[in-house]
Amino acid sequence: MLKKLLKYDLKWCYRPLIIFYILSLFFSIVIRIVEQFNTSFIFLILDKICSAIFIILLVSIFINNVIRIWGRCINNIYKDESYLTHTLPVEKKTIFLSKVLTTIITMFTSFLVIIISLAIACLTKETGIFLKNSLESMAVLLEISVWKLLTIMIITVFLEVLFMVLSGILGIVIGYKSNNLKIIKSLISGFLLYIIPSVIIIIVMYIVGLFNKDIMQLFNSVNNLNSIAIKSVFIGGCLMYVIYNIIYYIAGKKVLEKGVNVD
Amino acid sequence: MELVEFKHLSKEFDNNQILKDINLKIPKGKIVGLLGKNGVGKSTLIKLINDLLTPTSGEILINGEKPGIHSKEIIAYLPERTYLDKEMTILQVIKCFKEFYKNFNEEKARKLLGDLNLDINKKISKMSKGMQEKLQLILVMSRDAELYILDEPLGGVDPATRDYILDTILSNFKEGSSVIISTHLISDIERILDEVIFMDNGKIILTSSADELRNKENSSIDEIFRRCFKC
Repeated sequence: MLKKLLKYDLKWCYRPLIIFYILSLFFSIVIRIVEQFNTSFIFLILDKICSAIFIILLVSIFINNVIRIWGRCINNIYKDESYLTHTLPVEKKTIFLSKVLTTIITMFTSFLVIIISLAIACLTKETGIFLKNSLESMAVLLEISVWKLLTIMIITVFLEVLFMVLSGILGIVIGYKSNNLKIIKSLISGFLLYIIPSVIIIIVMYIVGLFNKDIMQLFNSVNNLNSIAIKSVFIGGCLMYVIYNIIYYIAGKKVLEKGVNVD
Repeated sequence: MELVEFKHLSKEFDNNQILKDINLKIPKGKIVGLLGKNGVGKSTLIKLINDLLTPTSGEILINGEKPGIHSKEIIAYLPERTYLDKEMTILQVIKCFKEFYKNFNEEKARKLLGDLNLDINKKISKMSKGMQEKLQLILVMSRDAELYILDEPLGGVDPATRDYILDTILSNFKEGSSVIISTHLISDIERILDEVIFMDNGKIILTSSADELRNKENSSIDEIFRRCFKC
């Protein structure tokens, strides 16, 4: 049943996203081509216009993805479509898992499209060298390889975004549990679920810093950061986000399993 | 064993008690009319059977079990509102029902849709609300369910459509199954009812066999209802 649910959830989310994906890839290629002729004034103008559209498209992919997932949760679990969702012979935990997996899969593909589009549009010999040098100097500082650094950075950002979306989903599940002011309660719950754990991460790091000078450096100075401090931020952040994401998934599942009150 | 059983069921919304200590048994193989004025709790009761609401207290048992996967496999529910994804075509919706419900009869659905001359490649969003409601009725009645729950199926439709709806219900429900029809338009359905349940103010005020009630009161269910709920 999970496979079937996932198929419909993914179809619903990808319906507009695919258009944005195609457009962003298309404009990244256009930018690449136009930049070959940037000696001409017309092409220069065209390049600027395409670049502006391209940036808007990349931002739209991200915003659309997030809003689409939250919208799917509200429509599918609490609004008109819920009359079908909750009368399907499927457990509530499966419905919730499908939404979470949809989040992970669509976010992953959106990330991938954004990175590929950026690479097509901007990766030249010069920018490549600049990027390589920057990453290498950071990798040397952290005493790890460039690929490891890149992987850690992508995972951290992905987990952070996933945490934001899951906070929203859990906020919706909590907000819609009540009988009135559901949207406002969802917004407040989601916001608090996102902010409070983020503050907790900072407090925990500060407390650890009281016993560890390297970590305390993060709070005292940004100029003399050492590899241990930066590594701690990445590893600690990743670990905390993994824990939070798991907790939010379990909490959302439990709340939903207790039952719904659809509109 | 009863098909559906309510035990001391209550439902509150913001300290407003919608259902009050409902104790009720719905037998197998009967067409039951859930009758009452607007806003007395009929839809709330139906939503509770379908796991769309959570009881404040008490419990509901369907074939001896709480609402869950098993009950959803055997209940075909037609809500008051349209619930299909507007971006899907009729064919996609049929395939969706076929995928999720083992007891969905695709052939029957296609035949009923053919009778309405509906193009199965048409998008739901391009259909009128009335047509969407007919499509939902067809989808529900194309299931070989043990219990059909129809919430106000006759509400806001013209007499010709009413006849179509009643004919579709009567000629398509699985033999031996039960049907619960919630309505306040009694004259249209009273001829098909085996049992009646009168609801008022969140309570069950009367349950009876339709024939027994008619004989006892020497009048139609519609007249009895009007007397009961006179403003």
